[in-house]
Amino acid sequence: MRRRRSARALLAAAAATAATAALLSGCTSDDHKKDDPTAPKPGTLRVLASSELSDMTAVFDRVRKDTGITIRPTYMGTLDAVDLLARGKADGAYDALWLSSDDYLRLRPDAAKKVVSETPVMSSPVAIGVRPATVKALGWKPEQVTWGQIEQAVQDGRLTYGMTDPARSNSGFSTLISVASALSGAQSALTDADVAKATPRLKEFFKGQKLTSGSSGWLATAYKRRGTVDALLNYESVLKGVPGLTVIRPGDGVVTADYPLSSLASTSAGTREDVRRVTEDLRTDAVQKLITDTTHRRPVVASVPPAAGLDTGRRRELPFPGSRSVADGLLSSYENELRRPSRTVYVLDTSGSMAGERLTALKTALTGLTGDFRDREEVTLMPFGSTVKSVRTHVVDPKDPKAGLAAIRQDTDGLTADGGTAIYTSLEKAYDHLGGGKDTFTSIVLMTDGENTAGVDAGDFDGFYRSLTGIRRDTPVFPILFGDSSRTELQHIADLTGGRLFDAQQGSLDGAFEEIRGYQ
Amino acid sequence: MSGSGSTVPGVRRIAGIVLAVLLIGGVVAAVVAGRHGEDKGTATKTVRGVIGSEKADFFADPDVVKALAAKGYTVKVESSGSWAMDGLDLKGYDFAFPGSQAPADQLAAKYHAQEPLPRPFYSPLVVVAHRSAADVLAANGLAVLDGQHRGTLKTGAYLDAVRADRTWQQLKGATAHGELTGTLYITSTDPETSNSGALYLADASYVANGGKVVASTADVGRTAPLLRKLVSVQGAQQSSSDSVFRDFVSGAGNPLVLMYESQIASLLIQQHTANDLVVLYPDTTVNSDHTVVPLDANGRALGELLGTDPALRKLAVRHGFRPQGDAAEFVSAAVGVSGYLNQNLTGVRQAPVPTSQVLHEMTRRARG
Repeated sequence: MRRRRSARALLAAAAATAATAALLSGCTSDDHKKDDPTAPKPGTLRVLASSELSDMTAVFDRVRKDTGITIRPTYMGTLDAVDLLARGKADGAYDALWLSSDDYLRLRPDAAKKVVSETPVMSSPVAIGVRPATVKALGWKPEQVTWGQIEQAVQDGRLTYGMTDPARSNSGFSTLISVASALSGAQSALTDADVAKATPRLKEFFKGQKLTSGSSGWLATAYKRRGTVDALLNYESVLKGVPGLTVIRPGDGVVTADYPLSSLASTSAGTREDVRRVTEDLRTDAVQKLITDTTHRRPVVASVPPAAGLDTGRRRELPFPGSRSVADGLLSSYENELRRPSRTVYVLDTSGSMAGERLTALKTALTGLTGDFRDREEVTLMPFGSTVKSVRTHVVDPKDPKAGLAAIRQDTDGLTADGGTAIYTSLEKAYDHLGGGKDTFTSIVLMTDGENTAGVDAGDFDGFYRSLTGIRRDTPVFPILFGDSSRTELQHIADLTGGRLFDAQQGSLDGAFEEIRGYQ
Repeated sequence: MSGSGSTVPGVRRIAGIVLAVLLIGGVVAAVVAGRHGEDKGTATKTVRGVIGSEKADFFADPDVVKALAAKGYTVKVESSGSWAMDGLDLKGYDFAFPGSQAPADQLAAKYHAQEPLPRPFYSPLVVVAHRSAADVLAANGLAVLDGQHRGTLKTGAYLDAVRADRTWQQLKGATAHGELTGTLYITSTDPETSNSGALYLADASYVANGGKVVASTADVGRTAPLLRKLVSVQGAQQSSSDSVFRDFVSGAGNPLVLMYESQIASLLIQQHTANDLVVLYPDTTVNSDHTVVPLDANGRALGELLGTDPALRKLAVRHGFRPQGDAAEFVSAAVGVSGYLNQNLTGVRQAPVPTSQVLHEMTRRARG
């Protein structure tokens, strides 16, 4: 499968995520050094965690008060985390593992053997959150809706939705499994044959996906901003946190995350004892109640009822595939065949200041990405200095994916650094290049190491963007903070266009490029 | 505790180290203070063990901690799948406490533990079902209910249904319950790492083998296709019996789940109710003999104590286990919840468990 990445890129991505988290909490760079998540610290558990757990701050605080143990999460997608574990790269770097689910982990014996014990802490099923107006228009009774009805509404063009990228987010992966199991008509755990049989239907279904995201948080933000998407697919707990959605658990079955806190064989008995104490605290009635009240997840002790608003009607549990070939095969066909393809313009600063190490880092990062581009993906490289230097577009053709990827590598290799920095003129060119009308996930990546010194200014770009309509206006810019670029300037571009800022000053450039993949 | 006088200098030395640690990192203080509190009064021996997850609540119970302390023990445990214990480095541990005899025998051989191994308590495997699922099984001759919350699963009929790939939709009365769709199957744990999952296969293989324990290669071959089916329909399996129990309690997961009677009994004994849950005793079931593998003298002493100390036996019952040798203790504690439990295991036949070698081969082929 082509979408496997190098361990180095994974670690870079993790570091970038950690750096982003530190920045969000307002740390200075001095604090950041002290807070290095990879350094062991007595009384602190370094937890490799699913990003969905970022809503647990109140619970972590409570656990610290109860046990004296601090939970320090490093957020990562399930597949990356399992990969890290399997390669032994988590040994000594993490004290515990806390994914939304260990189902995928179990399919990788080399990763599963790193886990000593796992204890489910709470649960949340996959669900669909729909605008109340859409529910009404479709004539749905929320407690009776099935995947079949959802599929029909998508086919009729009456329902569009957003979901997270299954390759990077556990919620996206669980959603994919739920949809595939339900639409394949499989009566028990999915097989390769079920997936093959369901492919045409799945292709239809994923035509309705209008939003993709590397994280549940940004998905909700983009949904609100876009205003034209009817629904979100995600965990019930996430959807309950988005105001104004009618949350529906389809009657014909869901996959449920049970959030097992897991101790690792590579850790000391003392560390595992800390994990056990935290687990025990998490399962007390008081903490279970706090969890369900603050995160909309369901308790795993019989003595605590689910929070108000969590419907207790039963749903069939769809079995998770029992083999890695089925799970990876489904993922691969989603990326390369089922989902709408993506079109991306990489607007790349190759001004004079990029000469030397910076240009080398950019080339390495871009070359690394060629291991990750999907079939049917359209990639445009737009290097700029004082003006746009060239516009080269390549498509990864499923019949000969290597040719397109080789061409991207070749163009990358030929990049040279000279000239000023025309950020806004180049961005306007990128929008012009993309045009409108194609049925794709369209976005722009902006990488710059300095402030705007040439071409039009920020005000001009603001006016340009505001005059855009339709699909063009829905195209976000994902700026990467690098070298001496201005956070304020780039944050403004992200806010204006509905994108998200990625930080390669704290993290690495490869890490930032990797993380953005989830949003393309 | 004997020899406590000679340990005093040692304790002082440890206290010195503790102080030094406190100066370095203050967070350790809470842990040490907690331990000091537990130890108050008698000097205790700290005994460390690896246990099956189904006994984690027992060892965490403050009354169990107290009862053990009264006998001079502080017990530190860590959970692991019973079959996964074989892969752990047990250096520094005093005992292992898997959920049945087969993994215990294997560990005993590996660590040269002396037979007989202490078997302080046991628990039969049961299937818990939501009311709706139990009713549908009963209406279709797959189960017999004797009351609102208790019944017997017809193991043979169930295995026939599995052989025929029966779905819930094909069963009378299932359409009234939206969640009852898809292939009819019982959820178990992963038989390769977890004891209850392996015992499920032991049970099914006994019935499928015409009421004889699977012993020969021919027996294994004959039963393999059915066992393979029992496992493959489930997809990815949980690795511990505690996990499947938690999923069931939280309302997630399959409507039929295999677990230890002790798990459901402890919930009932402590809470007296479990909503619409029905406990189905397979008419042919397997007992899990919770077996202590002593790795040293302290481990053995603890294992003996768990089976002989009346207070600890009583606490074992509180956690749903049946102490060896005397049914009355369990029956009297379970009196308030007799609507759920078959206290005397009336009409339940015990299937013997194959040797660990045969069981390994069976699970390997079942997992495919």
